[in-house]
Amino acid sequence: MKQWTFRLFNDRISIQLSTRWLLVTGIWLLAVTGLFLLSLSAGSNWIPLTEVFMQITGQIDQHTFVVETLRLPRATMAILVGAALGIAGLILQSLVRNPLASPDIIGITSGASLGAVTFIFFGAGIISMQYLPLAAIAGGLLAALLIYLISWNKGVTPIRLVLIGVGLSAIMKACVTFMLVMSETATATTAYIWLTGSIYAASWSEVTSMIWWLLIPIPFLVVLGRGLNVTELGEDFSISVGIRVQLQQFIFLMCSVMLAGTAAAYAGGIEFVGLMAPHIARRLVHRSFPGLAVTTALIGAFLVLIADLIARTLFLPLDIPAGVFTAAIGAPFFLYLLFRYRNQ
Amino acid sequence: MSKKLLLFIVACLVSALVLAACGGSGEESTDATESDNASNASEETESGSIEVEHAMGTTTLEEKPERVVTLYQGATDTVLEFGVTPVGVVESWVQMPMYDYLKDDLQDVTYVGQETQPNLEEIAALEPDVIFASQIRHEEIYEQLSEIAPTIVNETIYDFKETTNLIGSALGEEEQAETLLADWDSRIADFQEKVSTNENWPMSAAVLNYRADHARIYVTGFAGSILQEAGFEEPTELQGQNEEIVMLNDKEAIPQMNADVIFQFMEDTPDVQNTYEDWTAHPLYQNLEAVKNDNVFTVDEVAWNMAGGLQSAHLMLDDMYEYFELEE
Repeated sequence: MKQWTFRLFNDRISIQLSTRWLLVTGIWLLAVTGLFLLSLSAGSNWIPLTEVFMQITGQIDQHTFVVETLRLPRATMAILVGAALGIAGLILQSLVRNPLASPDIIGITSGASLGAVTFIFFGAGIISMQYLPLAAIAGGLLAALLIYLISWNKGVTPIRLVLIGVGLSAIMKACVTFMLVMSETATATTAYIWLTGSIYAASWSEVTSMIWWLLIPIPFLVVLGRGLNVTELGEDFSISVGIRVQLQQFIFLMCSVMLAGTAAAYAGGIEFVGLMAPHIARRLVHRSFPGLAVTTALIGAFLVLIADLIARTLFLPLDIPAGVFTAAIGAPFFLYLLFRYRNQ
Repeated sequence: MSKKLLLFIVACLVSALVLAACGGSGEESTDATESDNASNASEETESGSIEVEHAMGTTTLEEKPERVVTLYQGATDTVLEFGVTPVGVVESWVQMPMYDYLKDDLQDVTYVGQETQPNLEEIAALEPDVIFASQIRHEEIYEQLSEIAPTIVNETIYDFKETTNLIGSALGEEEQAETLLADWDSRIADFQEKVSTNENWPMSAAVLNYRADHARIYVTGFAGSILQEAGFEEPTELQGQNEEIVMLNDKEAIPQMNADVIFQFMEDTPDVQNTYEDWTAHPLYQNLEAVKNDNVFTVDEVAWNMAGGLQSAHLMLDDMYEYFELEE
């Protein structure tokens, strides 16, 4: 297998590429592009690709609303959400060296859910719903900080992080259920939809503000990404090659929170993508964080894109939350992983 | 070390910039959704266009609308009272796709999905002239809806009088709206006059809903507000507390249900029936005034809770005449 290594900024950033990686990533890129185009054509009425192109390039304008206001931002949002969830999951799995870790399992998603439901419960009708993302991101951050603080005992070990996360996640889910029971029917319905996870009604302004949020963790990941490969070899090894493990772990955790929290903020509780995407990526390409991250992002995007496409076309005229489908594929996948790793 | 630090600082700066940009874009978009909760009023301007003030702003209709899409049950119910058949509606909650009492009037209608997540492409394909929505359900899609057609938004989903006024204004049928509401007022006045001859008047009334794991009392909302309009008092233990809905999670709270009359509705599932039998067998339940006097009525949940329109308000009033054995 051919392999190239690019080193930038005096070795600060290094990228390893292999032919296999190029091939696999190329195929996923094609798949995502194909699905993206299909998402622009498919819907209540089928718009041929040629017309989609003519619409986007401004040669015709009878599909302005459907293509440019509805389908384009929605498909873009699906890609962003999937990529963010995938990378968030990849970071966590590398960090805790456990293939079963993902933002929804260790409590980041439940934190975001709690933030969002609290907002819907107390703020509905008083504060505009457009601030919901802030509440969700804040919830995810608070949850992560809490998990981190409770796990702290002269440093944080990954396994303690996971166990505490699972415990806190259960408590936060209980709070969410409590609030749902205590709220009026109308409020509860809004909250349920959010919890299931839906890319419904994505608009360009949402897409842009989501991109801004996603840009925050990226510089950290680019600079520190290489460290994640080393972390995976174990704490002792990391220390021996001169990586400040605790600080790095913390930064990585925060990056994962930012990504998962932002995805949750704009698309609700879409589950299992953060678990599945890095897994599939690892089976296909070899471990080197930057390369793996790109593949994972593409796979995550593919999963959410296809879930949303199914959700809005299979049961027409119904438009159902995409989270239903990621959960339907994801839950059996999780069981399969548990079964596979049962002896480890 | 210093290089690492430099990189870190650069990263932080980028993040700060990004945050600042976010803050900016957030402020910009507030204007679009700035809501004005003034009561609705419409104005017919000289050019014949109609202006309607509603929960999310003021909307102008260039001419009297013909193709109407309704996105909440109460609007679907009420728009029919104006003699207008909507071209698109959302599915009902039970008896899907539409409540039995409306099915005949809506035989050829197009369903555009569910009230909580209506299909925007389907709505656009209908090319409506006006859309009736609810802030509580559709605030998030208000801008997209407004791109399809002028969208009139009710703050709640159960305030049938507001729904009637808004529909009247938007259709340029204010007089019709006034007539409809005047009919309602005179009917409710008639009911109140007749029910007040009852020896136990004034009476308190509670609307109960049994669920699988709890029971709730609707103090206000659709049924609650109509009962109050008819002159009933709030449940004895809840008077003056300004509660909208009271959740009872434990049978010890049963005394809160106390009222002279109880109207109850529940889903027909084994879990709910279990709760119901469990709660009603409790000694505290036997102590309730309504139970002692045999004044517990099981009502139609569609008319009393799920429809929320002017027609269903009349259906609810029909039931009340029947329960108190009054003649109109």
